[in-house]
Amino acid sequence: MKNNFPIFQNNSTLVYFDSAATSLKPSSVINSEMEYYTKYSANIHRGLYQISQIASNQYDRSRRVIADFIHAKSDEIIFTSGTTASINLVAQAWGYQNIKSGDEIVITQMEHHSNLVPWQQLAKSKKAKLKYIPVTSDFLLDQKSLSKLITKKTKIVALTHVSNVLGVVNPIKEIVKNIKNINPKTLILVDGAQSVAHFPVDFTDLGVDFYAFSGHKLYGPTGIGILYVNQKIYSSMAPTIFGGGAIKEVFLDKTILDNPPFCYEPGTPPIAQAIALAQAIKFIQKIGWEKIISHEKDLTNYLLDQLSNISEIKIFGPKKSNHRLGVVSFAFDNPKLPAPHDIGDIVSQKFNVAVRTGFHCAMPLHQLFGFTTGTTRVSLGIYNTQKDIDKLIASLNYAIKIFS
Amino acid sequence: MDDLYKEIILDRYKDPHNLGVIKNGIKVEEVNALCGDKIKIWLKVDQGIITDAKFEGSGCAISVAATDILMDMIKGKKITDVQQMSGAEIEKEIGIELSSVRKRCAYIGLEAIKKIKNSLNNL
Repeated sequence: MKNNFPIFQNNSTLVYFDSAATSLKPSSVINSEMEYYTKYSANIHRGLYQISQIASNQYDRSRRVIADFIHAKSDEIIFTSGTTASINLVAQAWGYQNIKSGDEIVITQMEHHSNLVPWQQLAKSKKAKLKYIPVTSDFLLDQKSLSKLITKKTKIVALTHVSNVLGVVNPIKEIVKNIKNINPKTLILVDGAQSVAHFPVDFTDLGVDFYAFSGHKLYGPTGIGILYVNQKIYSSMAPTIFGGGAIKEVFLDKTILDNPPFCYEPGTPPIAQAIALAQAIKFIQKIGWEKIISHEKDLTNYLLDQLSNISEIKIFGPKKSNHRLGVVSFAFDNPKLPAPHDIGDIVSQKFNVAVRTGFHCAMPLHQLFGFTTGTTRVSLGIYNTQKDIDKLIASLNYAIKIFS
Repeated sequence: MDDLYKEIILDRYKDPHNLGVIKNGIKVEEVNALCGDKIKIWLKVDQGIITDAKFEGSGCAISVAATDILMDMIKGKKITDVQQMSGAEIEKEIGIELSSVRKRCAYIGLEAIKKIKNSLNNL
């Protein structure tokens, strides 16, 4: 598998455990992006010349590939710059139209800052109430709390599909059903930054209204993300950014906007990135979900077992691979042992092992469980092996040794 | 690697020289939200001169060791001179060139003291 990722040819000893931050890129994705720049580097939907037509066709085709991948319709896919931009787009284009003083927005205690701050700021500016679904002591969302938290005033619930710290997979379909049973008018946004690269997601089946994810965590390029909008919702939204490519007609005194999704994509879009993202999806499809899921599950079990053997280690999340993915955060339960930042530096400099350290953009969750100096996070991708994990464990033992 | 975690850092982290509080001293706190370092510093200032400096903190080895070394560096100095100090002076004292992320760990004590400077000016 590592042969598909050119970074390992340039950095053969690299052990990469930060796929939750960004995944490495296979050569098919890199070549696809390069091909756009070297063979048909033109703007889309504007030129009648040949290379512009090729670029337009490739770009349009990419939207269809992505839509098929998540069982959505092409016009339900808005290209953005990433998950953060997707969530902010909803908070602004939908939120500012629909949230009024006294309304309620519900999120969870396990959100990434990107799915927390936009709602916190929206609630502040609209004098709406922001409520949190608690996380239980076994690191799962407290679904029992929904009956109290969801009311007639709940306009939207925004929650993550997979926690970028705990690795927990939330049962979205079940949660959506429970919420809609209490208030059918409540909309649901799911942050899918950590899910779409690891298991198949069928948006129609989940019953969500918005779903946000990034290309670069899906073995695709940086600079591109997706916002899925259930087409029924478009009528209650309005663009907040305007420009070329997003309009039908402009007069000196008025403008007629294009239909969605195009009215939400003003300006020249990330053309090369959109085209290469389709290649990333093809790469995943070529390997097949069955293989990806079983490989990552085996590795997650191995990782959890190996980490548990280190004394005084505290795993922040479920210790079994049920209901969780290969995103494993931990810290030492002893202040004399290395802090996350020390671990990150030592394992990198001595062993070329890349782990993430700190709060992983989820500070409230860390505070809630008393991980006040953050955690070290190991997140798996399809290129990881048992050998990688053995090297990680050896590097952690070395870090412990130099501190004792 | 052995450069970064050379003896001075590990020694100072395991056994800091300036740990503690100063009763009636000027107290200031600083956090590095990126990694959760938290430092509290107490200074005794007499006629503009820092006569004693102590700290308490939790976090990574670099933040604790660098703050401990900083406490030594500032004793006997004018607080107005400490105001002008740059983080590079701490790095020079430790003898390690730090990455941009780790600079934030190493400079945390100085950032705290710069806040004391502001509160003194406001008095």
